[in-house]
Formats: sequence, structure tokens, C-alpha cells
Amino acid sequence: MSETESPGRLIVGPFNRVEGDLEVQLELGAGQVTSARVNSPLFRGFERILEGRSPLDALVIVPRICGICSVSQSMAAVSALEALAGAAPPPNAVIAREIMRAVENLGDHLTHFHVFFMPDFARAAYAGRPWFPLVEERFKAAAGSAVREAVTARAGLFHVFGIMGGKWPHTLTIQPGGVARALDARDKVRLGAIITAFRHYLERSLFGAPLEAVLALSDLDALDAWRAQGPEGNFRLFLEIAHDLGLRGLGRAFDRFLSYGAGPGAGAGTWRDGAGGDLDFGRIAEDHSFARMTGRDRRHHPFDGSTEPDGADEAGYSWCKAPRLGGLPFETGAIARRLVAGDPLVEALALRDGGNVESRVIARLLELAREVERIGSLVRQLEVKGDWHVETRLPDEGRGLGVTEAARGALGHWLRVEGGRIAAYQIIAPTTWNFSPRDSDGVPGPLEKALEGTPVADGERVPAAVQHVVRSFDPCMVCTVH
Amino acid sequence: MARLETFYEVMRRQGITRRSFLKYCSLTAAALGLGPEFAPRIAHAMETKPRTPVLWLHGLECTCCSESFIRSAHPLAKDVVLSMISLDYDDTLMASAGHQAEAILDEIIRDYKGNYILAVEGNPPLNEDGMYCIIGGKPFVDQLRYVAEHSKAIISWGSCASFGCVQAARPNPTRATPVHQVITNKPIIKVPGCPPIAEVMTAVVTYMLTFDRIPELDRQGRPKMFYSQRIHDKCYRRPHFDAGQFVEHFDDEGARKGYCLYKMGCKGPTTYNACSTIRWNEGTSFPIQAGHGCIGCSEDGFWDKGSWYARLTDIPQFGIEANADQIGLTVAGAAGAAIAAHTAVSALKRAQHKGE
Repeated sequence: MSETESPGRLIVGPFNRVEGDLEVQLELGAGQVTSARVNSPLFRGFERILEGRSPLDALVIVPRICGICSVSQSMAAVSALEALAGAAPPPNAVIAREIMRAVENLGDHLTHFHVFFMPDFARAAYAGRPWFPLVEERFKAAAGSAVREAVTARAGLFHVFGIMGGKWPHTLTIQPGGVARALDARDKVRLGAIITAFRHYLERSLFGAPLEAVLALSDLDALDAWRAQGPEGNFRLFLEIAHDLGLRGLGRAFDRFLSYGAGPGAGAGTWRDGAGGDLDFGRIAEDHSFARMTGRDRRHHPFDGSTEPDGADEAGYSWCKAPRLGGLPFETGAIARRLVAGDPLVEALALRDGGNVESRVIARLLELAREVERIGSLVRQLEVKGDWHVETRLPDEGRGLGVTEAARGALGHWLRVEGGRIAAYQIIAPTTWNFSPRDSDGVPGPLEKALEGTPVADGERVPAAVQHVVRSFDPCMVCTVH
Repeated sequence: MARLETFYEVMRRQGITRRSFLKYCSLTAAALGLGPEFAPRIAHAMETKPRTPVLWLHGLECTCCSESFIRSAHPLAKDVVLSMISLDYDDTLMASAGHQAEAILDEIIRDYKGNYILAVEGNPPLNEDGMYCIIGGKPFVDQLRYVAEHSKAIISWGSCASFGCVQAARPNPTRATPVHQVITNKPIIKVPGCPPIAEVMTAVVTYMLTFDRIPELDRQGRPKMFYSQRIHDKCYRRPHFDAGQFVEHFDDEGARKGYCLYKMGCKGPTTYNACSTIRWNEGTSFPIQAGHGCIGCSEDGFWDKGSWYARLTDIPQFGIEANADQIGLTVAGAAGAAIAAHTAVSALKRAQHKGE
């Protein structure tokens, strides 16, 4: 039912332990993947549903694109509405939203590592490896001790959404002009306590060391030393596995990265050819050549985009459109954020072997450490006596671009309003970038490129290396096509 | 298969101690609103009854139901329930991939024919022969029909499976269709909400597994124990509603004082759910407590009923001078009307099914 084999071709899917549905078609030759096609088989039509509605309806509809990135979707929608209105929320609201966005990202990184990524190393195929008994005990799907601990730690961390959002997923308090919930001094203390408890969990279980020690890692030698004789913890365990299996030689794509900038003050940017650069939003366009969508004649800037499924399209092999920046595919995610922010260790990793299975996962774990620190200081900056919301009137005509960083990378909403109603709403999600199909030049998307050269053993029907590459991107398929 | 395992054996195998098991039984009794004398009955049932497998399928959805479920309040309850069901089939959590995963489905259907529970998250889209949701190369609607055929009962998790939810909003591009309109010959328990409250989900599963029967349902097919009261009935801001004290804008004086959110568009007065009693994220809060009105996400059609920020017009308005008794009377009248409307709709639906 799931894999059909013909000589040289393998279809892998459905994938378990990814968010949503995914199917990958591989062409094989000489024991490796020669080309890959990535299919996002789930389409709901959110952009069509939004058309004709009141712009405020986006606040309820858009988060429901995704049950794990819902706050990021809300953030992008609110940013688009505020851009439309030219509104400036008060500092408290900016900080409060940023805390919620960052906390959701932390939760996703934690889930990715423990529930989605690591259990693949507890497969029987790795039974002979020296690290196997430890991985099996800690990461066996749903039953491993570290998995249970992570799920519990995340539930505790998400009390933040109880306090600030009333509910998660699908939080409602993020509003144009601010937040619906003004925090008091007691809430502030509780938030601080939750973040501290989570920090202790990370120090105990994931890193086995104070976060300061993790944040002090700034070059490859220090990282090697941590692997060889660093503190006992799941971070070191991963470094050992990555070293043993050569994960840094696996899953390299184009080494072009983009980030919209995580948090206020952090700018959007790119990282390519070993250096940072500017990001011009005007040069983003979507190509429909291999998406089952009408509009294949030209590339569309998202303000001018369309989402009309074309079931009769024979060339299309995915519901996913192909976003391009300056005509080229780009990768996004924690590694892109760290690179654009100028993280010396992640930059050293990328300069050595580019984006790969190992460097993507390390970037995520480093971000966990860094963000917990930052969220703690954001909580301290809240002024409970200050304003939390300013009245914001939305104009009947206009457009707005809202961007944010979801756990999986750059998320953008392009909104156009006419006569007080949504005339067009286009969304490009992080996995839309990473799992895009080919474009009109025949250039594959980042995952398609990353899979090329991945080893597949004879008769291997669910190739382990393919699983590692796919999961290293932490796909969110329900966001990819919405 | 020689002998079917009991729940208790499964839990022990998962490393849950006897002491934790008994604690879980009494917690479950409490969560279900049963007296303490029910705890030994739950324990006995779990020790002696063969385990009922749960197959958890995902259709067109956003996975918010699973996300809610795995954060259920009591870690023990969550562990136990998870260990009961993740053994079987769930896309998001299980270890195996591809054909191994599909093989597990076939195996369970064969070994437990007529004796497993099917839990559905999301719904099937019917346009274009179901091609908007393809699982393992086939439309999800086919998988749903296949697994449903030999199931004992179906749990429709969340508003997608129960009613359609936002993906079925106008113009419903994929014709996303709730489960009960596709599977018409099985008992279906609807647990609506976007997502449903974690504790409601675990309690419903536990009830069905331990007592081997379906909880008492209302006319719409929702378990009465969680969906028989409106958010408004148990809202801690209710006294402000009765006193005519309302929030007019986010972060105004009334908002800081925790006044009623009715004028901000709160749908609490027409929404049946347990948010105001059980609350969210391990009981920390719920939307109204965070200063935002209820959007009525557990009600059928909540996605196409007009603005979420416009005040309800189908319940009468009162001034500050109105006394609590008058208000209570008018509200009861409105609720009566709402129930009558529901009844009419369900009767219509039944008539449609008969015609099919």
C-alpha cells in the first residue's frame, strides 16, 4: 500500500511522526538516490476560504492551518493586519507576543528532537552500534524515558499559553494593536518560574550542563571536545551518533538560507556563498510549473498570487507551489536563523559541510539554549502597569505583508483588502520553501536536492538515511500546503 | 493470537506500577464525575477485560487534536492512555513508517474484527474523488471506510471530524465532510472543539475502554457529561454579565477588572462545552480568562456564522438596571430557542439520511 517498487524507483510514504502527510518518490542508481520528487498530498484551500471575509476573521481561521505552529500563524496574520492599518502596538504587547512565539518554537524543537527525529536511531537496523542501548531506552517511540520527560516538560512550558493566551493550540489573544490579556505582577512571577523550570529540565536532561556552557561553544574544536568528553546528556549522545554515522555527509542541499528575522530588532536576511546578505521581499515569487495549480504561465509575487487547484494537471506532482527568491530555491529553519544572526558555531559548521542532517539538528538544539535565556529576559522587561493594546481601525482598502519566524523557518502572509473584505490572502510557510517541487527551470526544491546522493541499501524499502534527511528539516506538512 | 492482553498487563509492561495504576483508577472515576466507589470497578475492569485497541486515523486536519491530547493534565492519565493506544496506530506518534505502519492496521482489523475503536482526527474531502487528502497513494475516504467497516464504534475527535470546521467554511473548496455523513452504520461519539479539551478526550477514551460502552450522548451525538452546559452557565465572569458590566475594548478599564466579554462578541451564551469548568493547558486558563471572548469553536457551523467580534444578537440585551432574575429568565428563553433549533436541524439530517 505504501511503497511500490519498480527497478530503480521507490515511493516512500506515508511518513509517520511528521506533522501531516508526505510522500517521496525516489529514483535509484548505484546504491543511492539519483533524483527525488516530494509530494505534499494534503490540500484544504485556506487561501480561498479567506477571500471575501472580514479581515479580522483571519485571526480565527489562519491559526487553524496548523495545530503545532498556530501562534506563528497568528503572529504573521496580526503583522499583516497591522501593516495594513499602519498600527504600532505598545511595547508590552510586542514583548508578550514575542514570548508566545518563542515558546511555541521551543516546544516544537523539543518535540522534533525527542518524538520525531531521534526514535529513528532506535530502529533494529542500528542494534549493533555502541550507542544503541542508550538510544533504545531513551528514545523508543512513545515509550522512551526521554520522550516521556520531554512531553511532560513541554506541557509544563505551555502553561505560558494558559496564562497569556487562555488556550493552546489556536490561541486568540494576539490582536491587531496588541494583546487581549494584560498581565499582572503575579502572572509575571509565574511566567518567570515556568521558564526557570524549563531551563532546569534542559540543563538536566538535554545538555547535562549549565546553559552558559552550551552558549559558550563557539568553534568546531569545542564541539568536538564536548562530543569526546563533554557532560552526559542527550546533546552529547546525538553528537556521538552523528559522528559515528557520518550524518554531516548526509542531506546537503543548496547551502542558500533565508530568515525573516526572529524577534523585534532581528532583521530579515540571507546567507549564501559563505556570507550574509539582504533579503528583498519584492524578489519572492511562486512558480506553479509542478504544482497542481493553474497559473503556470509565469511566476507570481505573493501579492499577485493565486491558489486554484487544477486536478487535471498531469505535470504537477504536488499541491505545494515552488517559492523562489531572486529565481532560486532557499532553505529556511533554525539553521538559517542562526546563520543570519551570525552564530559563530553554526557558521563554522555551515562553512565546513553546509546545511546537513547534523548541522540542522545542532542549530535547533543551540537555539533551544539561546531562546530560553532570551525569553527569561523578555519576561523581566514586561511593565505590568503599561498599556497592552491600542485601538486599531482597519482601513477598507490596502495591503499588508506580515512575516515571522515559525519553528521551521520563515513564514509570510500577503494580505490584500478591498471594500473592507479580504480580496486576496497568500501564505508561504517554511516547509513550502524547504519541500517545494521543481520550478520552470527544472531546479528541484531544497529537500529534493538534499536527497540526491543519499545511500539506499539493496532491498531497503524504508531507507533509514532517507528518513534522517527528511526529518532533519522538521517538516510541517499541514503548513506547507494550506 | 493466543490470548488477548488485558489493559493492566499492557500498563505493567509499559512500566506503570501497581500503586500508580490504582491512583489512575480513582482519578478516572473523579474525572468522569463518578463516586469513589467506582474506582475499584474501573480497576477490576482493567485487570480482567481484554484490551480494546484504538486505531487513530488522520484525515484532512491540522493535528491540533493530537496536540491537545498529549498534554492532558495528569501525566499519569496521559501515560496510561497513551500506552493503551500508541501501541496500535497513530500517524503522529508511532515508531514504524511506511508499509510497516500500514501492516499494523491490517493486522489489528483482522485480529480484533468488530472489537476495536476507530478514532478519527480530521475529515475526508469528497471533491475530485478524494484526491485532496491522499494517504499511502489512496484517498483518505477509502482508508476511513475500510477501517470503519469492522470497528465497534467511532470517536470523531474535534470539530473537523464532528462538524467540518474551518476547512469546510464557504466555499468549502475540497468538500470537507464530517465523518457521520460518510459512515452511517456505526455508533459515532462526537467530541467537538477546535481542539477538544485534553481531559475531555482522555476521559471519553477511558470511559469507553473501561466500561466497554458508549457514554450517554445528546441529540447531536456529544457525550452529555461534558457538553450539557453552556460556557456562559459556569463562566466566572457571569456575575458581571448579570450586573451589566462589560468590556468595550481590549485593555480598557473593564478588561482590567475582568468584566463580561459579551459586547466583544463572546459566544459563551450559545456554546456547549466544558472550557469554563475544566479549562485549558492543565487547568491554567481558558479564552475568556485571557480576556478574549469565546468563538464557539465546538458548535456546528461556528465558521460561517458571521463575525467573531460582533455581539450575539439572538440573546436579548439588558441594561445595568435589569435585575438578575429577569436576566436569568430571558437567557433561559434564548437557550430554549437554541435547543429547539438544534432539534429541528438534527431531525432534518435524519430525514436526509433516510432518503439516501
